[in-house]
Amino acid sequence: MTEGTNVPEDLKYSKDHEWVKVDGDLVVVGITDYAQHSLHEITFVELPEVGSSVEADSECGLVESMKASSDLFSPLSGEIVEVNSNLEDAPELVNEEPYGKGWMFKIKPSNLDGEKGALMDAKAYSELIASAE
Amino acid sequence: MNDKLQRTHLYDWHAKNGDLVPFSGWEMPVRYTDIREEHMAVRDSVGIFDTSHMFRFVIKGSQALEFLQTMTSNNVRKLKVNGGQYTTCLNENGGIRDDLMLYRVEEQEYIWVTNADNGPKISAHLNQHAKNFDVEITDRTRNIAMIAVQGPKAMTLLSKIAGRDLSEYGRFTSNLVDLGGYSSYLCRTGYTGEDGAEILLLDTPFNNEGKDKATAFWELLLNQGEEFGIKPCGLGARDSTRLEAGLVLYGNDIDEETSPLEARIRYAVKFKVDPHYIGYDELKRQKEEGVDKTRIGLVMIDRGVPRKDYDILLRGETIGKVSSGVMSPILRSGIGLAYVKPGVVEEGDTIEIDIKRRLRKARVTKWPFYDSEKYGSTRSS
Repeated sequence: MTEGTNVPEDLKYSKDHEWVKVDGDLVVVGITDYAQHSLHEITFVELPEVGSSVEADSECGLVESMKASSDLFSPLSGEIVEVNSNLEDAPELVNEEPYGKGWMFKIKPSNLDGEKGALMDAKAYSELIASAE
Repeated sequence: MNDKLQRTHLYDWHAKNGDLVPFSGWEMPVRYTDIREEHMAVRDSVGIFDTSHMFRFVIKGSQALEFLQTMTSNNVRKLKVNGGQYTTCLNENGGIRDDLMLYRVEEQEYIWVTNADNGPKISAHLNQHAKNFDVEITDRTRNIAMIAVQGPKAMTLLSKIAGRDLSEYGRFTSNLVDLGGYSSYLCRTGYTGEDGAEILLLDTPFNNEGKDKATAFWELLLNQGEEFGIKPCGLGARDSTRLEAGLVLYGNDIDEETSPLEARIRYAVKFKVDPHYIGYDELKRQKEEGVDKTRIGLVMIDRGVPRKDYDILLRGETIGKVSSGVMSPILRSGIGLAYVKPGVVEEGDTIEIDIKRRLRKARVTKWPFYDSEKYGSTRSS
Protein backbone atom coordinates (compact mmCIF):
# COMPACT_ATOMS: atom_id res chain seq x y z
CA MET A 1 0.00 0.00 0.00
CA THR A 2 1.60 3.27 -1.07
CA GLU A 3 -1.14 5.29 0.51
CA GLY A 4 0.25 6.76 3.73
CA THR A 5 3.78 5.55 2.96
CA ASN A 6 6.31 8.07 4.17
CA VAL A 7 8.97 9.20 1.65
CA PRO A 8 10.89 12.15 3.19
CA GLU A 9 11.94 14.84 0.71
CA ASP A 10 15.45 15.32 2.10
CA LEU A 11 16.69 11.73 1.48
CA LYS A 12 18.00 9.80 -1.53
CA TYR A 13 16.75 6.32 -2.37
CA SER A 14 18.00 3.10 -3.97
CA LYS A 15 16.06 0.64 -6.11
CA ASP A 16 16.53 -1.86 -3.26
CA HIS A 17 14.24 0.26 -1.06
CA GLU A 18 16.98 1.75 1.07
CA TRP A 19 17.41 5.40 2.01
CA VAL A 20 20.64 7.37 2.10
CA LYS A 21 21.31 10.56 4.03
CA VAL A 22 24.52 12.50 3.45
CA ASP A 23 25.83 13.72 6.81
CA GLY A 24 29.12 15.62 6.37
CA ASP A 25 31.62 13.17 4.91
CA LEU A 26 29.57 10.16 6.00
CA VAL A 27 26.31 8.68 4.69
CA VAL A 28 23.66 7.02 6.84
CA VAL A 29 21.71 4.09 5.38
CA GLY A 30 18.44 2.41 6.35
CA ILE A 31 15.44 0.74 4.74
CA THR A 32 12.42 2.75 3.66
CA ASP A 33 8.98 2.95 5.22
CA TYR A 34 7.68 1.06 2.18
CA ALA A 35 10.24 -1.74 2.77
CA GLN A 36 9.54 -2.07 6.50
CA HIS A 37 5.81 -2.12 5.87
CA SER A 38 6.12 -4.75 3.20
CA LEU A 39 8.34 -6.97 5.40
CA HIS A 40 6.30 -6.27 8.56
CA GLU A 41 7.31 -7.68 11.97
CA ILE A 42 11.08 -7.52 11.61
CA THR A 43 12.66 -10.11 13.91
CA PHE A 44 16.39 -9.94 13.19
CA VAL A 45 18.85 -7.65 11.42
CA GLU A 46 22.32 -8.81 10.39
CA LEU A 47 24.52 -5.76 9.79
CA PRO A 48 27.92 -5.55 8.06
CA GLU A 49 31.10 -5.54 10.18
CA VAL A 50 32.52 -2.18 11.17
CA GLY A 51 35.73 -1.64 9.22
CA SER A 52 34.68 -3.78 6.27
CA SER A 53 34.74 -2.47 2.72
CA VAL A 54 31.59 -2.60 0.64
CA GLU A 55 30.88 -2.14 -3.04
CA ALA A 56 27.83 -0.27 -4.37
CA ASP A 57 24.86 -2.66 -4.89
CA SER A 58 26.65 -5.51 -3.11
CA GLU A 59 25.00 -7.66 -0.46
CA CYS A 60 26.12 -6.63 3.02
CA GLY A 61 23.55 -7.94 5.49
CA LEU A 62 20.15 -9.42 6.11
CA VAL A 63 16.72 -8.36 7.35
CA GLU A 64 14.52 -11.14 8.73
CA SER A 65 10.81 -10.72 9.29
CA MET A 66 8.02 -13.13 10.21
CA LYS A 67 7.07 -13.01 6.55
CA ALA A 68 10.38 -13.31 4.70
CA SER A 69 14.16 -13.05 4.68
CA SER A 70 15.53 -10.17 2.65
CA ASP A 71 19.12 -9.22 1.74
CA LEU A 72 20.54 -5.85 2.65
CA PHE A 73 22.61 -4.06 0.00
CA SER A 74 25.07 -1.24 0.26
CA PRO A 75 23.82 1.66 -1.88
CA LEU A 76 27.37 3.09 -2.15
CA SER A 77 31.00 1.93 -2.14
CA GLY A 78 33.15 2.70 0.88
CA GLU A 79 34.03 1.64 4.38
CA ILE A 80 31.52 0.75 7.10
CA VAL A 81 32.34 3.07 9.99
CA GLU A 82 29.42 2.46 12.35
CA VAL A 83 26.40 0.14 12.67
CA ASN A 84 23.25 0.58 14.72
CA SER A 85 23.89 -1.97 17.45
CA ASN A 86 20.53 -1.19 19.11
CA LEU A 87 18.93 -3.29 16.38
CA GLU A 88 20.45 -6.44 17.91
CA ASP A 89 18.09 -6.27 20.85
CA ALA A 90 15.33 -4.22 19.27
CA PRO A 91 14.93 -5.03 15.56
CA GLU A 92 11.37 -3.69 15.80
CA LEU A 93 12.87 -0.17 15.77
CA VAL A 94 13.09 -0.60 11.99
CA ASN A 95 9.29 -1.01 11.85
CA GLU A 96 8.66 1.81 14.28
CA GLU A 97 11.12 4.44 13.00
CA PRO A 98 12.64 3.38 9.68
CA TYR A 99 14.13 6.85 9.10
CA GLY A 100 15.09 7.49 12.73
CA LYS A 101 16.12 5.02 15.42
CA GLY A 102 15.85 2.21 12.88
CA TRP A 103 18.85 3.41 10.82
CA MET A 104 21.24 0.58 9.90
CA PHE A 105 24.81 1.60 9.09
CA LYS A 106 27.10 4.50 8.21
CA ILE A 107 29.52 4.46 5.30
CA LYS A 108 32.53 6.58 4.56
CA PRO A 109 31.97 6.70 0.81
CA SER A 110 34.90 6.24 -1.56
CA ASN A 111 33.18 7.48 -4.72
CA LEU A 112 30.15 9.51 -3.66
CA ASP A 113 30.23 11.88 -6.61
CA GLY A 114 30.54 9.04 -9.11
CA GLU A 115 27.80 6.91 -7.55
CA LYS A 116 25.18 9.28 -6.21
CA GLY A 117 23.73 9.79 -9.68
CA ALA A 118 22.32 6.25 -9.49
CA LEU A 119 20.20 7.16 -6.45
CA MET A 120 16.67 8.53 -6.74
CA ASP A 121 15.09 11.60 -5.21
CA ALA A 122 11.83 11.36 -3.25
CA LYS A 123 9.69 11.98 -6.32
CA ALA A 124 11.34 9.28 -8.44
CA TYR A 125 11.21 6.80 -5.54
CA SER A 126 7.52 7.52 -4.90
CA GLU A 127 6.87 6.73 -8.56
CA LEU A 128 8.85 3.49 -8.27
CA ILE A 129 6.80 2.19 -5.34
CA ALA A 130 3.54 3.35 -6.93
CA SER A 131 4.38 1.30 -10.05
CA ALA A 132 5.21 -1.75 -7.91
CA GLU A 133 1.64 -1.93 -6.61
CA MET B 1 1.41 -23.71 -17.25
CA ASN B 2 -1.14 -21.02 -16.64
CA ASP B 3 0.56 -18.01 -15.05
CA LYS B 4 -2.65 -16.50 -13.81
CA LEU B 5 -2.97 -16.94 -10.07
CA GLN B 6 -5.95 -18.92 -8.85
CA ARG B 7 -8.27 -17.67 -6.14
CA THR B 8 -10.25 -19.47 -3.46
CA HIS B 9 -13.93 -18.99 -2.56
CA LEU B 10 -12.83 -16.51 0.11
CA TYR B 11 -10.63 -14.37 -2.13
CA ASP B 12 -12.74 -11.19 -1.91
CA TRP B 13 -12.68 -11.33 1.90
CA HIS B 14 -8.89 -11.87 1.91
CA ALA B 15 -8.31 -8.99 -0.53
CA LYS B 16 -10.33 -6.67 1.66
CA ASN B 17 -8.83 -7.74 4.99
CA GLY B 18 -5.41 -9.24 4.30
CA ASP B 19 -2.00 -8.86 2.70
CA LEU B 20 -2.01 -11.07 -0.42
CA VAL B 21 0.98 -12.94 -1.85
CA PRO B 22 1.44 -15.53 -4.61
CA PHE B 23 1.75 -19.06 -3.19
CA SER B 24 1.95 -22.28 -5.24
CA GLY B 25 -0.04 -20.71 -8.08
CA TRP B 26 -2.63 -19.19 -5.77
CA GLU B 27 -3.19 -15.67 -4.52
CA MET B 28 -3.37 -16.14 -0.75
CA PRO B 29 -3.24 -14.00 2.41
CA VAL B 30 0.13 -14.10 4.19
CA ARG B 31 -1.33 -12.19 7.15
CA TYR B 32 -4.36 -10.13 8.11
CA THR B 33 -2.95 -8.17 11.03
CA ASP B 34 0.22 -9.48 12.62
CA ILE B 35 1.71 -12.96 12.10
CA ARG B 36 2.76 -13.32 15.74
CA GLU B 37 -0.69 -12.31 17.02
CA GLU B 38 -2.35 -14.76 14.62
CA HIS B 39 0.11 -17.45 15.72
CA MET B 40 -0.61 -16.86 19.41
CA ALA B 41 -4.38 -16.93 18.82
CA VAL B 42 -3.91 -20.51 17.55
CA ARG B 43 -1.75 -21.47 20.55
CA ASP B 44 -3.90 -19.73 23.19
CA SER B 45 -7.47 -19.85 21.85
CA VAL B 46 -8.49 -20.34 18.22
CA GLY B 47 -7.51 -19.25 14.72
CA ILE B 48 -8.99 -20.01 11.31
CA PHE B 49 -7.19 -20.62 8.02
CA ASP B 50 -8.52 -20.77 4.48
CA THR B 51 -7.01 -24.00 3.12
CA SER B 52 -9.17 -24.18 -0.01
CA HIS B 53 -6.04 -23.94 -2.19
CA MET B 54 -5.32 -27.58 -1.38
CA PHE B 55 -6.74 -30.21 -3.76
CA ARG B 56 -9.58 -32.54 -2.81
CA PHE B 57 -10.09 -35.74 -4.79
CA VAL B 58 -13.01 -38.05 -4.11
CA ILE B 59 -12.09 -41.68 -4.79
CA LYS B 60 -14.86 -44.28 -4.81
CA GLY B 61 -15.56 -47.75 -6.11
CA SER B 62 -15.48 -51.42 -5.15
CA GLN B 63 -11.67 -51.51 -5.42
CA ALA B 64 -11.00 -48.11 -3.82
CA LEU B 65 -9.18 -49.71 -0.87
CA GLU B 66 -6.83 -51.85 -3.00
CA PHE B 67 -6.19 -48.90 -5.30
CA LEU B 68 -5.34 -46.56 -2.42
CA GLN B 69 -3.09 -49.16 -0.81
CA THR B 70 -1.11 -49.25 -4.07
CA MET B 71 -0.89 -45.45 -4.00
CA THR B 72 -0.09 -44.72 -0.33
CA SER B 73 2.36 -45.83 2.36
CA ASN B 74 0.17 -46.08 5.45
CA ASN B 75 -2.08 -49.10 6.12
CA VAL B 76 -5.33 -48.26 4.31
CA ARG B 77 -7.03 -51.38 5.75
CA LYS B 78 -6.68 -49.83 9.21
CA LEU B 79 -8.57 -46.74 8.10
CA LYS B 80 -12.13 -47.12 9.39
CA VAL B 81 -15.24 -45.49 7.94
CA ASN B 82 -15.29 -41.91 9.35
CA GLY B 83 -11.58 -42.05 10.04
CA GLY B 84 -8.64 -40.01 8.79
CA GLN B 85 -5.04 -40.98 8.14
CA TYR B 86 -1.84 -39.03 7.45
CA THR B 87 0.09 -40.77 4.70
CA THR B 88 2.44 -40.32 1.76
CA CYS B 89 2.30 -41.10 -1.94
CA LEU B 90 5.70 -42.32 -3.17
CA ASN B 91 7.60 -42.70 -6.40
CA GLU B 92 9.40 -45.93 -7.40
CA ASN B 93 12.55 -44.78 -5.56
CA GLY B 94 10.70 -44.26 -2.29
CA GLY B 95 10.80 -40.46 -2.71
CA ILE B 96 7.71 -38.52 -1.68
CA ARG B 97 5.37 -37.45 -4.49
CA ASP B 98 3.21 -35.81 -1.85
CA ASP B 99 2.11 -36.06 1.75
CA LEU B 100 -1.62 -36.06 2.28
CA MET B 101 -4.63 -36.69 4.48
CA LEU B 102 -6.87 -39.57 3.50
CA TYR B 103 -10.40 -39.62 4.93
CA ARG B 104 -12.72 -42.59 4.61
CA VAL B 105 -16.20 -41.09 4.48
CA GLU B 106 -18.16 -44.16 3.28
CA GLU B 107 -17.45 -47.89 3.04
CA GLN B 108 -16.13 -47.44 -0.51
CA GLU B 109 -15.54 -43.69 -0.64
CA TYR B 110 -12.44 -41.72 0.35
CA ILE B 111 -11.36 -38.09 0.19
CA TRP B 112 -7.72 -37.42 -0.66
CA VAL B 113 -6.49 -33.93 0.39
CA THR B 114 -3.23 -33.03 -1.29
CA ASN B 115 -0.91 -29.99 -1.45
CA ALA B 116 -1.72 -27.08 -3.78
CA ASP B 117 1.57 -27.42 -5.63
CA ASN B 118 1.09 -31.13 -6.26
CA GLY B 119 -2.56 -31.25 -7.28
CA PRO B 120 -2.04 -31.60 -11.06
CA LYS B 121 0.84 -34.08 -10.61
CA ILE B 122 -1.13 -36.25 -8.18
CA SER B 123 -4.27 -36.11 -10.32
CA ALA B 124 -2.32 -37.41 -13.34
CA HIS B 125 -0.63 -40.12 -11.23
CA LEU B 126 -3.91 -41.34 -9.70
CA ASN B 127 -5.77 -41.36 -13.00
CA GLN B 128 -2.98 -43.25 -14.73
CA HIS B 129 -3.03 -46.07 -12.17
CA ALA B 130 -6.81 -46.08 -11.65
CA LYS B 131 -7.28 -47.75 -15.03
CA ASN B 132 -6.45 -51.13 -13.49
CA PHE B 133 -9.06 -50.84 -10.72
CA ASP B 134 -12.81 -50.47 -10.37
CA VAL B 135 -12.51 -46.96 -9.02
CA GLU B 136 -13.70 -43.49 -9.95
CA ILE B 137 -11.74 -40.30 -9.19
CA THR B 138 -13.43 -36.90 -9.09
CA ASP B 139 -11.70 -33.59 -8.47
CA ARG B 140 -13.97 -31.80 -5.97
CA THR B 141 -11.53 -28.99 -5.21
CA ARG B 142 -13.87 -26.40 -6.68
CA ASN B 143 -17.09 -27.70 -5.08
CA ILE B 144 -15.88 -28.00 -1.49
CA ALA B 145 -14.40 -25.01 0.34
CA MET B 146 -11.99 -25.95 3.12
CA ILE B 147 -11.36 -24.08 6.36
CA ALA B 148 -9.10 -25.13 9.24
CA VAL B 149 -10.26 -24.22 12.76
CA GLN B 150 -7.29 -24.69 15.10
CA GLY B 151 -6.47 -24.11 18.75
CA PRO B 152 -7.47 -25.18 22.27
CA LYS B 153 -10.86 -23.43 21.87
CA ALA B 154 -11.52 -24.75 18.35
CA MET B 155 -13.87 -27.57 19.39
CA THR B 156 -15.65 -25.34 21.91
CA LEU B 157 -16.35 -22.87 19.11
CA LEU B 158 -17.52 -25.54 16.66
CA SER B 159 -19.75 -27.15 19.34
CA LYS B 160 -21.28 -23.74 20.02
CA ILE B 161 -22.06 -23.31 16.31
CA ALA B 162 -23.41 -26.87 15.96
CA GLY B 163 -25.55 -26.47 19.08
CA ARG B 164 -24.25 -29.76 20.45
CA ASP B 165 -21.09 -31.21 21.96
CA LEU B 166 -18.80 -32.31 19.13
CA SER B 167 -16.10 -33.66 21.44
CA GLU B 168 -17.57 -37.15 20.96
CA TYR B 169 -15.72 -37.11 17.64
CA GLY B 170 -12.14 -37.97 18.51
CA ARG B 171 -8.89 -36.98 16.81
CA PHE B 172 -8.43 -38.34 13.29
CA THR B 173 -12.12 -38.85 12.60
CA SER B 174 -14.13 -37.45 9.67
CA ASN B 175 -17.89 -37.18 10.14
CA LEU B 176 -20.72 -35.55 8.26
CA VAL B 177 -22.12 -32.91 10.61
CA ASP B 178 -24.42 -29.90 10.50
CA LEU B 179 -22.52 -26.80 11.60
CA GLY B 180 -25.15 -24.12 12.12
CA GLY B 181 -26.96 -25.08 8.92
CA TYR B 182 -23.79 -25.80 6.92
CA SER B 183 -23.44 -29.43 5.88
CA SER B 184 -19.78 -30.32 6.38
CA TYR B 185 -17.25 -33.03 6.96
CA LEU B 186 -15.74 -32.38 10.36
CA CYS B 187 -12.20 -33.73 9.99
CA ARG B 188 -10.49 -33.78 13.36
CA THR B 189 -7.06 -33.04 11.97
CA GLY B 190 -4.80 -30.04 11.34
CA TYR B 191 -1.38 -28.65 10.63
CA THR B 192 -0.59 -26.56 13.70
CA GLY B 193 0.06 -29.09 16.45
CA GLU B 194 -3.13 -27.93 18.17
CA ASP B 195 -6.49 -29.59 18.64
CA GLY B 196 -9.16 -28.59 16.16
CA ALA B 197 -10.65 -29.53 12.84
CA GLU B 198 -10.41 -29.09 9.12
CA ILE B 199 -13.88 -28.38 7.76
CA LEU B 200 -14.88 -29.54 4.30
CA LEU B 201 -17.78 -27.23 3.51
CA LEU B 202 -20.07 -29.18 1.18
CA ASP B 203 -22.21 -27.73 -1.61
CA THR B 204 -20.05 -24.68 -2.16
CA PRO B 205 -19.69 -24.53 -5.95
CA PHE B 206 -17.22 -21.99 -7.32
CA ASN B 207 -19.83 -19.42 -8.28
CA ASN B 208 -21.26 -16.35 -6.54
CA GLU B 209 -23.67 -18.42 -4.49
CA GLY B 210 -20.95 -20.85 -3.36
CA LYS B 211 -18.48 -18.06 -2.62
CA ASP B 212 -21.10 -16.15 -0.59
CA LYS B 213 -21.88 -19.31 1.33
CA ALA B 214 -18.23 -20.02 2.16
CA THR B 215 -17.69 -16.38 3.17
CA ALA B 216 -20.82 -16.42 5.36
CA PHE B 217 -19.52 -19.52 7.17
CA TRP B 218 -16.08 -17.88 7.62
CA GLU B 219 -17.78 -14.80 9.11
CA LEU B 220 -19.97 -17.00 11.32
CA LEU B 221 -16.80 -18.55 12.76
CA LEU B 222 -15.31 -15.09 13.38
CA ASN B 223 -18.48 -13.71 14.99
CA GLN B 224 -19.11 -16.74 17.19
CA GLY B 225 -15.40 -16.93 18.05
CA GLU B 226 -15.11 -13.33 19.14
CA GLU B 227 -15.59 -14.22 22.81
CA PHE B 228 -12.52 -16.50 22.58
CA GLY B 229 -10.34 -13.92 20.82
CA ILE B 230 -10.44 -15.71 17.47
CA LYS B 231 -8.19 -14.46 14.65
CA PRO B 232 -8.23 -15.13 10.92
CA CYS B 233 -4.75 -16.49 10.13
CA GLY B 234 -2.69 -16.27 6.96
CA LEU B 235 0.08 -18.36 5.45
CA GLY B 236 2.65 -16.71 7.75
CA ALA B 237 1.03 -18.15 10.87
CA ARG B 238 0.37 -21.41 9.03
CA ASP B 239 4.12 -21.77 8.46
CA SER B 240 5.17 -20.70 11.96
CA THR B 241 2.64 -22.96 13.73
CA ARG B 242 3.48 -26.03 11.64
CA LEU B 243 7.21 -25.44 12.16
CA GLU B 244 6.89 -25.14 15.94
CA ALA B 245 5.06 -28.47 15.83
CA GLY B 246 7.85 -29.96 13.66
CA LEU B 247 5.49 -30.77 10.79
CA VAL B 248 7.00 -31.05 7.32
CA LEU B 249 6.17 -28.80 4.37
CA TYR B 250 6.26 -30.27 0.88
CA GLY B 251 8.82 -28.58 -1.36
CA ASN B 252 10.94 -27.57 1.66
CA ASP B 253 11.30 -30.48 4.05
CA ILE B 254 10.13 -33.29 1.79
CA ASP B 255 10.27 -33.87 -1.95
CA GLU B 256 10.74 -36.56 -4.61
CA GLU B 257 14.35 -37.05 -3.44
CA THR B 258 13.40 -37.65 0.20
CA SER B 259 11.77 -40.75 1.66
CA PRO B 260 9.36 -40.72 4.61
CA LEU B 261 11.96 -42.68 6.62
CA GLU B 262 14.57 -40.01 5.97
CA ALA B 263 11.96 -37.35 6.88
CA ARG B 264 11.22 -39.32 10.09
CA ILE B 265 7.50 -39.44 9.42
CA ARG B 266 7.62 -43.09 10.39
CA TYR B 267 3.93 -43.16 11.40
CA ALA B 268 2.98 -42.65 7.74
CA VAL B 269 4.81 -45.86 6.73
CA LYS B 270 3.63 -49.43 7.24
CA PHE B 271 5.24 -52.59 5.94
CA LYS B 272 2.52 -55.17 6.71
CA VAL B 273 0.30 -54.07 3.86
CA ASP B 274 -1.38 -55.85 0.96
CA PRO B 275 -0.98 -55.07 -1.86
CA HIS B 276 2.43 -53.37 -1.63
CA TYR B 277 2.46 -49.67 -2.54
CA ILE B 278 4.70 -48.06 -5.16
CA GLY B 279 8.08 -47.43 -3.49
CA TYR B 280 7.61 -50.26 -0.96
CA ASP B 281 10.74 -52.22 -1.90
CA GLU B 282 13.03 -49.21 -1.63
CA LEU B 283 11.60 -48.23 1.77
CA LYS B 284 12.05 -51.81 2.98
CA ARG B 285 15.67 -51.67 1.84
CA GLN B 286 16.19 -48.33 3.66
CA LYS B 287 14.62 -49.78 6.79
CA GLU B 288 17.05 -52.71 6.73
CA GLU B 289 20.21 -51.02 5.42
CA GLY B 290 19.78 -47.48 6.72
CA VAL B 291 19.15 -44.09 5.16
CA ASP B 292 21.50 -41.57 3.51
CA LYS B 293 20.19 -38.53 5.39
CA THR B 294 17.95 -37.83 8.35
CA ARG B 295 15.80 -34.94 9.47
CA ILE B 296 16.68 -33.06 12.67
CA GLY B 297 15.20 -30.09 14.52
CA LEU B 298 17.21 -26.99 15.45
CA VAL B 299 16.80 -24.18 17.95
CA MET B 300 19.13 -21.19 17.57
CA ILE B 301 21.43 -20.43 20.51
CA ASP B 302 22.79 -17.30 18.79
CA ARG B 303 20.61 -14.68 17.16
CA GLY B 304 19.33 -15.33 13.67
CA VAL B 305 16.84 -17.42 11.79
CA PRO B 306 17.78 -20.62 9.93
CA ARG B 307 16.46 -20.57 6.37
CA LYS B 308 16.24 -23.10 3.56
CA ASP B 309 19.60 -24.20 2.09
CA TYR B 310 21.83 -22.67 4.79
CA ASP B 311 24.75 -25.03 5.46
CA ILE B 312 25.06 -26.86 8.78
CA LEU B 313 28.53 -27.40 10.21
CA LEU B 314 29.98 -29.55 12.97
CA ARG B 315 33.57 -28.76 14.01
CA GLY B 316 34.14 -26.91 10.74
CA GLU B 317 32.81 -29.65 8.50
CA THR B 318 29.59 -29.34 6.51
CA ILE B 319 27.16 -32.07 7.60
CA GLY B 320 23.90 -30.97 6.02
CA LYS B 321 21.45 -28.24 5.08
CA VAL B 322 18.49 -26.42 6.60
CA SER B 323 15.17 -27.28 4.89
CA SER B 324 12.99 -24.63 6.56
CA GLY B 325 13.02 -22.22 9.46
CA VAL B 326 11.24 -19.35 11.15
CA MET B 327 11.36 -17.14 14.24
CA SER B 328 9.34 -19.03 16.85
CA PRO B 329 6.82 -16.77 18.61
CA ILE B 330 6.71 -19.17 21.59
CA LEU B 331 10.48 -19.63 22.02
CA ARG B 332 11.39 -16.17 20.68
CA SER B 333 14.32 -17.85 18.95
CA GLY B 334 14.93 -19.04 15.44
CA ILE B 335 13.87 -22.66 14.88
CA GLY B 336 14.33 -24.91 11.91
CA LEU B 337 14.25 -28.33 10.31
CA ALA B 338 17.28 -29.71 8.54
CA TYR B 339 18.80 -32.77 6.93
CA VAL B 340 22.16 -34.16 8.05
CA LYS B 341 24.15 -37.34 7.52
CA PRO B 342 22.79 -40.03 9.86
CA GLY B 343 24.62 -40.68 13.11
CA VAL B 344 26.79 -37.55 13.22
CA VAL B 345 24.77 -35.54 15.74
CA GLU B 346 22.27 -36.27 18.47
CA GLU B 347 19.77 -34.31 20.53
CA GLY B 348 21.45 -31.64 22.62
CA ASP B 349 24.53 -31.29 20.41
CA THR B 350 25.64 -27.82 19.37
CA ILE B 351 26.11 -27.25 15.66
CA GLU B 352 26.74 -24.15 13.58
CA ILE B 353 24.67 -22.64 10.80
CA ASP B 354 26.23 -20.56 8.07
CA ILE B 355 23.97 -17.50 7.97
CA LYS B 356 25.36 -15.28 5.24
CA ARG B 357 28.97 -16.37 5.90
CA ARG B 358 28.73 -15.94 9.66
CA LEU B 359 28.63 -19.08 11.77
CA ARG B 360 25.88 -19.04 14.36
CA LYS B 361 25.29 -21.66 17.02
CA ALA B 362 22.18 -23.81 17.25
CA ARG B 363 21.18 -26.84 19.31
CA VAL B 364 19.87 -30.09 17.89
CA THR B 365 16.41 -30.39 19.43
CA LYS B 366 13.46 -32.75 19.14
CA TRP B 367 10.10 -31.52 17.91
CA PRO B 368 7.57 -30.20 18.77
CA PHE B 369 9.71 -27.24 19.79
CA TYR B 370 7.16 -25.94 22.31
CA ASP B 371 6.54 -27.44 25.75
CA SER B 372 3.90 -30.13 25.10
CA GLU B 373 2.59 -29.75 28.64
CA LYS B 374 1.60 -26.15 27.85
CA TYR B 375 0.85 -26.13 24.13
CA GLY B 376 -0.43 -28.44 21.42
CA SER B 377 -3.18 -31.05 21.28
CA THR B 378 -1.69 -33.13 24.13
CA ARG B 379 -1.43 -30.24 26.61
CA SER B 380 -2.43 -31.14 30.16
CA SER B 381 -5.20 -28.61 30.80
